[in-house]
Amino acid sequence: MTLLAQYFVTGIVTGCFLILATIGFSLTRRVEGFLNIAHAELLGVSAFVTWGLNVKAAWPFLPSAIFAIIFTAVVGLVVGRLFYDPIRKLGPAVLLISSVGVAYVIGGSVDALVGTGIRTLNIPLATTYRFFGVRITDYQMIVVALAALTGLSLAVFMSKTKIGLAIGAMADNPELAASRGIDILQTSRATWLLSSGLAGLAGVVLALIATLSTDLAFHQILQILAVAILAGLGSLYSVMLAGLIVGIAMDMSVFWIPAGYRPLIAFAVVILVLLVRPEGLSGRKSK
Amino acid sequence: MKNVKKRSMLLNAALMSTALASGTLSASAQEVTVGVLVPLTGELGEFGKIVANAIQLGVAEINAAGGTSCGDIRTVIADTGGSPETGIREASKMIESEGAVAVLGPTSGVMVALVDLAKRSKTVIMSPYAGTITLNELGGDYVYRTVSSDLGDGAASGLWLKDQGYESVAFLVQNEESTISPAQVARTTLEDAGIELTDFVVYNPGQPSYQAELISVLSHEPDAIYLAGGQESGVTVIKEATAGGFEGEWLFTADLAVPEIFDAAGADLLNGRAYVEFADADNSLDEYKAFEALHIEKAGGEPGPFAANSFDMINLIALSLEASGQCSGEGINSVIRNVADGEFAVSTFADGKAAVAAGEDINYEGASGPLVFDESGTVAGAYTIQAAEGGEWVNTKFYPASSFE
Repeated sequence: MTLLAQYFVTGIVTGCFLILATIGFSLTRRVEGFLNIAHAELLGVSAFVTWGLNVKAAWPFLPSAIFAIIFTAVVGLVVGRLFYDPIRKLGPAVLLISSVGVAYVIGGSVDALVGTGIRTLNIPLATTYRFFGVRITDYQMIVVALAALTGLSLAVFMSKTKIGLAIGAMADNPELAASRGIDILQTSRATWLLSSGLAGLAGVVLALIATLSTDLAFHQILQILAVAILAGLGSLYSVMLAGLIVGIAMDMSVFWIPAGYRPLIAFAVVILVLLVRPEGLSGRKSK
Repeated sequence: MKNVKKRSMLLNAALMSTALASGTLSASAQEVTVGVLVPLTGELGEFGKIVANAIQLGVAEINAAGGTSCGDIRTVIADTGGSPETGIREASKMIESEGAVAVLGPTSGVMVALVDLAKRSKTVIMSPYAGTITLNELGGDYVYRTVSSDLGDGAASGLWLKDQGYESVAFLVQNEESTISPAQVARTTLEDAGIELTDFVVYNPGQPSYQAELISVLSHEPDAIYLAGGQESGVTVIKEATAGGFEGEWLFTADLAVPEIFDAAGADLLNGRAYVEFADADNSLDEYKAFEALHIEKAGGEPGPFAANSFDMINLIALSLEASGQCSGEGINSVIRNVADGEFAVSTFADGKAAVAAGEDINYEGASGPLVFDESGTVAGAYTIQAAEGGEWVNTKFYPASSFE
């Protein structure tokens, strides 16, 4: 029973990482209307900036992380203006395919700057705590806390601030939003900054728990897609629920079936849910 | 997402063109062509350069000894970048346009892709580092390697785990053919020895965390964990297992046999409790020492990984040309097994050439080992176990090829 509880707790942590990795991706998808495959590479940008400052420049972890998040947000904004704005009118399919190209450009640049091999941050080994026999490390608790905090603050931001409300309105109906006097361009820029900043946060978490290689970030894209599709086009709560479902299902499955099938479980869950709810958890139809 | 590094590509293009030019210019009236097909760019580029240089070193020695009866050896070099498609294209060019009698140096994937071409065009292909078990089925006729199969690593790992006297061992194995097959061999050794196998977990690399995979492993508190994985997954697993309370010992496979592991995982997690297993040349052999001295003198430096195996390839080809009296791949293929395993031991081309002229049935004893091809054209290998001590890998045990008979 303790073993099963251990899988459950590990699943929550996996789910929380997926929430952090997907929340910005999902935001772009709602507001800009396409699946930005390059989002995963932004995690890599942030992870390696954190590593560069922490290890190469010997900065403490926290300032390295904060700088990495801001830097990634700006990179995301520039990428949005440079690559996506000019082709926005060509529709989501063209944007999606272009984003694969953008992923290669970002990935290639990181590769060229960082080089091959593995990298780890200059931080202490995780400390393990036990609650009723179930293990959890301090870094795992940070992941859970960050996911919860991000979800909460994003909810407040989207419902209480002017720019948050504008983003929500544009996600629901861009034409209507424009006719009501919302500055589409400014809102779009704000979305890019926000979603890329969230990718930056996920990248920091990646650097915190994982061993970095230049292709690690892109490896996360399939699970990000799984969570985003499961969530559907709805609110950020559906992303949080979807992340937890996929994370817990993947990790608990290891109790019964070989671990090599974890990615398969992620997509099996997505397919099963979509059979019952074709619009995803949020139930909202695409425009 | 593997990216080609432009700068090293340019550099290699320059290196290659000089190599090609020197190869072509040194051609005398009568000559025999050997293709050198290696990755000069991409992930395995560093290995490809070592192999190409060791072959050139062998060619220089052979030609200095008067060349073969088919004339001096001329090499043509091409870069595969590790890609089987490029490999097939370049090998076809070497065989059809350049008349190569043998193609040396392809990596595992390229070797497998070339099997059909080799048999169809009756051209010998040989690799100094392709460990893939696919060649255990496909190799043997026109397809050879001067390195042991990946399965040999499993046998060596199994032997070490047994010799250490562990009572329980858990296996964590990356989801790839090259790691799963040796792990299964090691597992059989353990089961035969009555050692408890607590877990056999096959995991996918590229994950931020491997906590889910470790839960069952840690709950069984094994004496040792056999970890067959890449550096990225390996380091995360080492850290997470240690943080999770694992206090036993480790046995890693070759990918982790690099100094970077101590920086990445933390030397204090490894010192005194981690070991690594990898295929290695038998440095105690006189043939190896002679090669090492030659390499230091002519190439300026210690031989790199697979240099001895590469040097042996070109010597085997040259001696087979000599022994068969035919200047063709078919001729090489018909005698190469005998040349590697005859009666009269020789360790240099010059000695072998003289012995063949005297009518001897030669046995080439290579720099990398005794070189006896089994049915699949594979040689038995030797293996080294290193221990983590004071933040570096230190030799602790050597298993010569004879340990596995």
